[in-house]
Amino acid sequence: MSSSISYKNVQKTFTGSQVVHALKKVSFTIEPGELFCLLGPSGCGKTTLLRCTAGLETLTDGRIFYDDRDVTTIPPFRRNIGMVFQSFALYPHMNVFENVAYGLRVRGIDEKSIRNKVTDIMELVGLPDVLRRNPSPTALSGGQQQRVAVARALVYDPQILLLDEPLANLDAKLRRHMRAEIRRIQKVTNVTTIFVTHDQEEAMAIGDRLAIMRDGLIEQIGSSDEIYHNPNNAFVSNFIGKMNFFTGTIGSIRGEHYQVQLDGRNSALSFTPKVSSELKAAAVGDRVTVGFRPEHLRIKPKAPDHEVLGRVRIIQHLGQIIRYEVVVEEGAGERVIEVDMLGTVPGVGEGDAVAIEFSERGFLFAEGGEVA
Amino acid sequence: MSLKMQDKGGGWLTRQRQKDYTPYLVFTIPLAFLVIFLFWPLVTTFIRAFLGSGSRFSLGPLTVSNFERFATSNLYRGSLRNSFIISFSVVFFTLLIGVPMGYFVARVKMPFKRLILSLGILPIILPSFVGAFSWVILLGRQGFVRHYINMVLGVFGLELPSIYGLFGVIFTMTVTYYPFIFLLSYGAFEAVNPLLEEAAMIMGSGRSRILRTITLPLVIPSLAAGSILVFIRAMGNFGIPAMLGGDQYVLPTLIYFRVNGFWDLNGAAAISLISVAITGGALLLQKFIVSKREYETISASRSEYKLHSHPAIRIIATLYCGIILIISLAPQMTMFIMSFFTRWGAAGPEGFTLTNYARIPTIASRPILNSLFLATTASLLCAILGSLVAYITERRKPRGALILDLAIMAPFILPGTVVSVALISGFGGDSWLPLTGTFTIILISYMIRRTPYVFRSVVASLSQLDPTLEEASMISGANWLYTFRRVSFPLILPGILSGTILTFATLLQELSTTILLYSSNTRTLPIQIWGAVADGKFGEASAMSTLLIAMVFVVVYGMNRFLGQSISSSFKVG
Repeated sequence: MSSSISYKNVQKTFTGSQVVHALKKVSFTIEPGELFCLLGPSGCGKTTLLRCTAGLETLTDGRIFYDDRDVTTIPPFRRNIGMVFQSFALYPHMNVFENVAYGLRVRGIDEKSIRNKVTDIMELVGLPDVLRRNPSPTALSGGQQQRVAVARALVYDPQILLLDEPLANLDAKLRRHMRAEIRRIQKVTNVTTIFVTHDQEEAMAIGDRLAIMRDGLIEQIGSSDEIYHNPNNAFVSNFIGKMNFFTGTIGSIRGEHYQVQLDGRNSALSFTPKVSSELKAAAVGDRVTVGFRPEHLRIKPKAPDHEVLGRVRIIQHLGQIIRYEVVVEEGAGERVIEVDMLGTVPGVGEGDAVAIEFSERGFLFAEGGEVA
Repeated sequence: MSLKMQDKGGGWLTRQRQKDYTPYLVFTIPLAFLVIFLFWPLVTTFIRAFLGSGSRFSLGPLTVSNFERFATSNLYRGSLRNSFIISFSVVFFTLLIGVPMGYFVARVKMPFKRLILSLGILPIILPSFVGAFSWVILLGRQGFVRHYINMVLGVFGLELPSIYGLFGVIFTMTVTYYPFIFLLSYGAFEAVNPLLEEAAMIMGSGRSRILRTITLPLVIPSLAAGSILVFIRAMGNFGIPAMLGGDQYVLPTLIYFRVNGFWDLNGAAAISLISVAITGGALLLQKFIVSKREYETISASRSEYKLHSHPAIRIIATLYCGIILIISLAPQMTMFIMSFFTRWGAAGPEGFTLTNYARIPTIASRPILNSLFLATTASLLCAILGSLVAYITERRKPRGALILDLAIMAPFILPGTVVSVALISGFGGDSWLPLTGTFTIILISYMIRRTPYVFRSVVASLSQLDPTLEEASMISGANWLYTFRRVSFPLILPGILSGTILTFATLLQELSTTILLYSSNTRTLPIQIWGAVADGKFGEASAMSTLLIAMVFVVVYGMNRFLGQSISSSFKVG
């Protein structure tokens, strides 16, 4: 039953007191049965894209297909889809059973089948007992409301399930639990699912594939691994995981080996970086942005031959790793570089001067493709 | 066009068929109603204002002769002046009485607060012309209370002015309309975050300085809204000046006089235009003032009030509220007592009897049925029209929604007599749709005037209703109508009900519109009471008024019990 979703040059412009180009020519395809995450900072257009997929917004231009059925102008109630809202949108004037049964009653299904289907779906979402008391949804906890909302969206076997930041109203611990639950339920029902979130950790944990959005455009689509290890640009690299950036000029290129003269440094950096797709035709003399993930930097107690010098501001113990925030002078101001070490560095405390070492594994981006 | 659509949309026709047209269909019904029964009469009224005096409607030579009377005629000049004097005085005195009362009830530790709030609302729920004739009994030429007051005033060589004239009208309107100010300022004083006042106290301000620099500025928007409400009501009230004005006319009575005395509809139209211009101007002024003084609550946290608990303040506050309540409810009590007596002499009521009630079936059974029929039918129609327009303008926002919004609220500034003049003007005996003298024209006038009540009330409920609930329903496969029936309607039903019941309660006692529209077949209970007062039959008038008030009270009390909300919240219109 689950279908693919294709976007062809989808555009959405809001005209009101000010014109907002929420979506600018978005084209991609989501495969049947996939759990697909739309990820991006607030205002990037991800919720608009979801609402367009549902038919709650009318496209300014472009087309949307479920399999090869053009649904662009079809109203939401003829699309056979399910949706879970950030606010859950449970009907306060109906009890839990009536809430879940709503979509079945709309479809004119007989009461006996409704009872069976509702019981089954409540079993699937892990709330079989709630039906016995059958309270008003307002009497349920946040996590239970969430499950009821998922049940209500899935009970009539929709082709597509849309989730609009469904975990945003839950506390941190419950959020981690519920995202695993959502993935479990999605794999059981195998319904094509779009999951909108601004939380990269959540997106990486739950999604088969991710789309990173910014300013109404898709920046990159891929599995979380692909995006983490091969980000298309500086923005994506810093949105999926943390990235420290430096600017510089390419000094020489030998195969995969690059020498980059970092701004404000004496010696050149020599390494074998992942070169982003936007930099395919890089040449000697080009300005570039160099990126290093915190785990690809190391700090050492200050010694004269080391390159970047800074002062440790804060040491945070984050379970397995220790994060050092190092303040580095740069031009007129200063900036913070994050370095993750697997253990404490002997002889380095807060306020101490340290040297930063670069590893071989950096990233090379086009200059100016700035950071999130 | 079709070619381009073809390759993009899988057929233009298909796309059109897939659209959901129900909201557009529903949109046209209220629009048609407003065009025919509001725009058309108003347009004809506007034109009539510039025709020669009389009632003929012809697109002949236009003239401003109807307006010239405001410069040449003493009667016209006097009416305009009286309307202004009365309205401004009433605003002034209601503020003078209502603000301290609001402050006392909100901030002083005193007994019977709930009772004071419930009784305080009564004067605006009860028919105002009943108050007017009761005051005649108490303060008229042979008035029972007047006698004692003059004994006291006589010591200083003073005498209470006659109840007939400006004094009586201002006095009666003040005790009728002060609840608007009282309730709004009570709400405002209650709503001011005590932390703001505590902060000022910590910074070293004394109590009076806090009141002056913090509290009053924060309640000014509410007071401005209340003042305009009172101003518009005072400007449009017909019953009180008609009964107590004597030879002093105001704009609504002048309109009545023009239509009923001279059958000069065109002249009445001109006066209506002036009257609407004044109330419209007042409303714009209020919008201007309020928009400059809108304060957001900055912090979510607030503390409890420390109520004034000094014994002197408590005694003063309790006495003050008690006296105001007794004065403002005196007419209703007088009327109730009077209904059991034949007359009210200088020493008190005389001649106990039940004849007044016994005569109700003979003199008023038809008017009672008419009133019930008209109020019920009109309330139901208002409920449908008001809810639909509220829903469409709030949720669907089609093109032209703003016009609909404005149109439905416009009657708020139209005094009842003006609505009547417009309807007679649009649907007179020689027009394309003659309706004068029918129930229909009264129903239409009621709908025009009261739909805003339901509209406001439903808009308020809708703004509380999360739109994602409706979206969730559409996603589940429900179309617009199903969604409205199963999700939106049940959730806004309390708003619809409270608006409708308020409409019903006010329509039962409607006088100012009906007075120009009724015929021998369509007399209502208020018209009958009005006639009895005019004939000097105070006993019968009191018995009928008691019955009317009982009906209004049952309805409003029933709503309170049913919806579990306070009456005062229903009156926060303005």
